[in-house]
Amino acid sequence: MLRTTAMLALAAGIIGNAASAQEITLWSHWADQASKVEFVENAAKAYEEANPGVTINISWYQKEPLYAALKTALTAAQGPDIFYAESDQTEYMQNDLVLDLSDKLNWDNIEPWATEVWGYEGGVYGFPLEAWTVETYVNNAVMAENGIEIPVAGMEGQAFVDAVQKIADAGTTPLAQGVGDRPYPGAFLTHEILVKKLGTDDYRSLLKGEGVAWSDSRVKEALDYAKQIIDASAFPASFSSIKLGEAHRYFHTSPGAAMLQMGSFYPSRAFAAPDEGGQPDGFDLGIVNGPIPDGAACPECKTIAVGGSFVVNASSENADLAAGFLNSMATPEMGNAWLEANLVGTGIKSDASKITGENADYFQKLAAANEGAKYTFGIPVQQMQGTPRETFTQVINQAFPAGLIGVDEAISMMESAY
Amino acid sequence: MTASTQPATVATPPRKERDHANPRSAIATFLFPALLIYAAFTALPVMRTIYNSTHLIVPNKPAEWVGFTHYIELWNDNIFWKAVGNTLTWATVAPLMEVSIATILALALYAKVPFSRFLRVAWFTPVLMSYVVVGILWMWIYNYDWGAVNSFLRWIGLDGWAQPWLGHPDTALPALIAVTTWMWTGFNMVVILAAMSSLPSEVLEAAELDNCGWFGKLWFVILPLIRPTLLNLIVLSFIGKMKIFDLVWVTTQGNPLWATETVSTYVYKRAFQWSTFDLGYPSTIAVVWFVIVMAGVLALTRLFRQKDKLEY
Repeated sequence: MLRTTAMLALAAGIIGNAASAQEITLWSHWADQASKVEFVENAAKAYEEANPGVTINISWYQKEPLYAALKTALTAAQGPDIFYAESDQTEYMQNDLVLDLSDKLNWDNIEPWATEVWGYEGGVYGFPLEAWTVETYVNNAVMAENGIEIPVAGMEGQAFVDAVQKIADAGTTPLAQGVGDRPYPGAFLTHEILVKKLGTDDYRSLLKGEGVAWSDSRVKEALDYAKQIIDASAFPASFSSIKLGEAHRYFHTSPGAAMLQMGSFYPSRAFAAPDEGGQPDGFDLGIVNGPIPDGAACPECKTIAVGGSFVVNASSENADLAAGFLNSMATPEMGNAWLEANLVGTGIKSDASKITGENADYFQKLAAANEGAKYTFGIPVQQMQGTPRETFTQVINQAFPAGLIGVDEAISMMESAY
Repeated sequence: MTASTQPATVATPPRKERDHANPRSAIATFLFPALLIYAAFTALPVMRTIYNSTHLIVPNKPAEWVGFTHYIELWNDNIFWKAVGNTLTWATVAPLMEVSIATILALALYAKVPFSRFLRVAWFTPVLMSYVVVGILWMWIYNYDWGAVNSFLRWIGLDGWAQPWLGHPDTALPALIAVTTWMWTGFNMVVILAAMSSLPSEVLEAAELDNCGWFGKLWFVILPLIRPTLLNLIVLSFIGKMKIFDLVWVTTQGNPLWATETVSTYVYKRAFQWSTFDLGYPSTIAVVWFVIVMAGVLALTRLFRQKDKLEY
């Protein structure tokens, strides 16, 4: 009798534990970015402590393998409860694979533009953890050597072309861009000129192929201006093969360049120790607005992109818990913690002025470069889909800035992609 | 008496003789596992791919029949035809280069040049490396600023010839073809050397007795005798290049301006990077390419078929 009672009690205990133990699975990019891994894992630990019985099992990937794994898993109606996504992946929403988070997150703590980026047919689908702007980083020492000073608000028209030419003539690379492993850094110059020339609405309709055509005279003028800068030897000869990380090192260390147009995730690499690929000690970094074409409709326009975000699997059995975990990160305190740990922006409302210590100066410069800015949301490869996107990558990101094709050819190729 | 003996022989049915020449049950038993694996992992995926190519396949929705829409779209897809052109160029040029150079190297080893043992190992080594390692290695070699190729050109005073080899549409594909040639020539060389080493010595001695010179022996005796080996190597190389993916993905991802896009990289892009879950269109590319590769192999086999049987 005693034995039977003990067994029943044991069985009840096991069943009870099974019923209360819940596991949330999360698949994410950033396998090689320690500070982001640490941030998310700390948030997971805090959520587990606040919710006894809940465990969060995180698998870290590189981006491409993650996307391939997700595609296979989601097609088979499986996959993790939460996964990494970026706002251009509208296929998740189109196929009802992710949960509408409209009523599940505290959106008051999320920046309105970040909410808008993840909006789709009345719902909001992503938790925008990472966000960045396109900035022109300046090596102040090289600029001083060449007697050039670019105002924070940016340099206009021919003046920028002349500055680039002067730096190139002095034997220094003006802009340390490279497209060896990414589909977008080579296009920073061109699309930042385009958004200033056209303004955000027309720029958006150009990228979407709805209204403004690539053959529009303003687009041609913007491309002509970009071509002048390119022809002034703006980019390194090894532009086609330089990878993103190498472009950073090219700019601040070896051989050294005058400028680098990059997402404001620049510090995540550059602020590492010098022997880990970071800037040399005492490197004098400036941040300015990009070149402004003559007749710009919106000189203060620039791009802000929501990067790494988390979404909840629509077929998750733990959807409420998963959303709860994301909501636990949607607080201004977590936003500031993200900024401080990762030195890159976030869609969570945060206050960069509260950042103290050695990086406070950087955030002040970044804030100054963005004062009064009007944003377009997403770099072109986030706004375009299919063949136009592939053509943009090949043409505007690589062939055009590499000097392999001219303005008319670029326009013709982009026109035929839609 | 007669009656009593007759029924014993007539009533007993004749014992079925076992056909030892055709043991059907044994054949079936042995074939079944292999056929099952073939059906599950080859036939079924091929059939499914053909099915997908005529359907719109997206999650959470039943497959939608779209007929030959994908095939018509593919016919008008400029990137696909660019990829086809690149792949065919690669699959035509590389086998000829690999087998020609491999034959010369094998002849050198066959003639026992100095350090032949070392050279055999050295020339064979590249094929032991994966395409990923080879890709990274050659990206360094082709690097514009400090790569070996441009450093050498600058060292001999040909600075103007230095260029981003993988970054220009005119040089990117030839540069990658050179990589696969470097990688596979050693393998071909070993196979050809093995074929040469197994040539019947009587034939070679007879040629020498007939005062046949070195070139004559090569042209009229050795090459005809190793012809089947050479042709098989060409066909194998052709098939390998028609499927090439890894090297391109590691080095250029099809850039610049699709100059190195191959059909395999394009299928991958369409399947995993095109912001769509639809597997129909990539399946269509796979089906069309399967037919083209099959036709190519059949054409090569027919072209190379030995018309006159060698007698020796």
